[in-house]
Amino acid sequence: MNDKEFNDAVGRLPKSIEPPRDLWPDIEARLNRRRRWYWVPLAAAAVLAGVWLVRSQPVSWDVTRLSGRPVVGTTALTASGRLRVGDSLWTDDSSRALIAVGKIGRVEVLPDSRVQLVAARADEHRLALARGTIDAKVDAVPRLFFVDTPAGTAIDLGCAYTLHTDSLGNGVLHVTGGEVEFQTGSRMARVPLGALAQTRAAVGPGSPYVEDAPEPLIRALVAFDFEKGGARATRTALAVARPQDALSLWHLLQRVDPTLRALVYDRLASLVPPPPGVTRAAALALDSRALEGYWTKIYRIHFRRMILKGVKEIDPRTGTTVR
Amino acid sequence: MASPDDLVARAQAGDQKAFRELYRQHAGRVYALCLRLTGSTSDADERTQDVFVRLWDKVKSFRGESAFSSWLHRLAVNVVLNERRTTGRREQRVMIAEDPAALERNRGGSTEGLSIDLERAIGELPDGAREVFVLYDIEGYGHAEIASMVGIAEGTSKAQLFRARKLLREKLER
Repeated sequence: MNDKEFNDAVGRLPKSIEPPRDLWPDIEARLNRRRRWYWVPLAAAAVLAGVWLVRSQPVSWDVTRLSGRPVVGTTALTASGRLRVGDSLWTDDSSRALIAVGKIGRVEVLPDSRVQLVAARADEHRLALARGTIDAKVDAVPRLFFVDTPAGTAIDLGCAYTLHTDSLGNGVLHVTGGEVEFQTGSRMARVPLGALAQTRAAVGPGSPYVEDAPEPLIRALVAFDFEKGGARATRTALAVARPQDALSLWHLLQRVDPTLRALVYDRLASLVPPPPGVTRAAALALDSRALEGYWTKIYRIHFRRMILKGVKEIDPRTGTTVR
Repeated sequence: MASPDDLVARAQAGDQKAFRELYRQHAGRVYALCLRLTGSTSDADERTQDVFVRLWDKVKSFRGESAFSSWLHRLAVNVVLNERRTTGRREQRVMIAEDPAALERNRGGSTEGLSIDLERAIGELPDGAREVFVLYDIEGYGHAEIASMVGIAEGTSKAQLFRARKLLREKLER
């Protein structure tokens, strides 16, 4: 047998040989077996962590004067003190204070604000912002820190943000790190870093928008969310939206009248194509899995744009680096 | 029918049905590789299962920088070679004699007698020579890559390939 004959024989060997039996049932059984046991150490660790958190958690929070004369209850804060559940902290137009949020973060209370400590438990750190402005920074697993306002509740998903509420209960949330969910009973907004959401008492959060969103888009969103702008505001928002405004359209998709939903989806899909597995039909049916998949893609692209701002130019349609 | 990219994306999201479809599409190539590298149908069964269990763990790390099939192939090679390194098994190879039907199921044509002889001869090669021959001549890896995967010097890989080809020719000419 010469070289050519030998090489030809090797070249004819099949690349694929079917297994003599179907191996999938055994593979599936192994995957399922592993999956069951996978949770045992995780669950045990979670229980231990919970016990540790409960035991180590203070029942009140430290509060420190930063400037002026903040007041806790009826007592002026000279240097530092404790904020107990039910206590309110007041700042006038020249005072500021810093609240330690248990062991998971801190909140700076800016001038002309009133904040009350509602809950100080390991599984629930809750303030109420009646009016004014706070800067919050929390480093913890999601949904441990909450701030109630007349317009709804800001739920921390691991983040930094500024939250403002005026005397009528209207305000704005500006997220500078991570992501915040703002909720009322009927409305929800997901606000990632570099985005804002207007809020209105008794209505809830508006559709979020990015920091550099075009003014006409912001006006259209406000008109739609709070002024019964309806189809006209929707069409304006769609017309001026850019790929980087996809997060606004993702919210709009879930808020518009069903007759406008296809219009919003098609515009969103033309700006940021949906990821594999998200179909038009599922998105129009507001299927939670489809919406979640779409949000994950939009969030990732947005996150890359924000993180790499000034370092690399990111394509707002795909999240890839522009060459 | 779902596209390969779609299946991979769904499997990455934890969709076991999509993962089963990936298994259906790639089981033949993975099994062929395992069969030739181990030289045993029972080991090939086990290693093929190991590859797909490992794939379930690793699929999220697939970033699309190469074709999925190439990536999976490399994963399969690593699983088989790691298993061999771990257990240090050197069982007697009886691959094709054990199950000649494994090849009958997969081909036709006038050259099949020669191919079956060649498969049998490959199965009878010494471990080191067989691994290098399968990876270089059948799977198309280079000597540098093989040296790194198997944990030998590049020169050793070349020498094992020379040895394998010589032994195979002798067996086929008998």
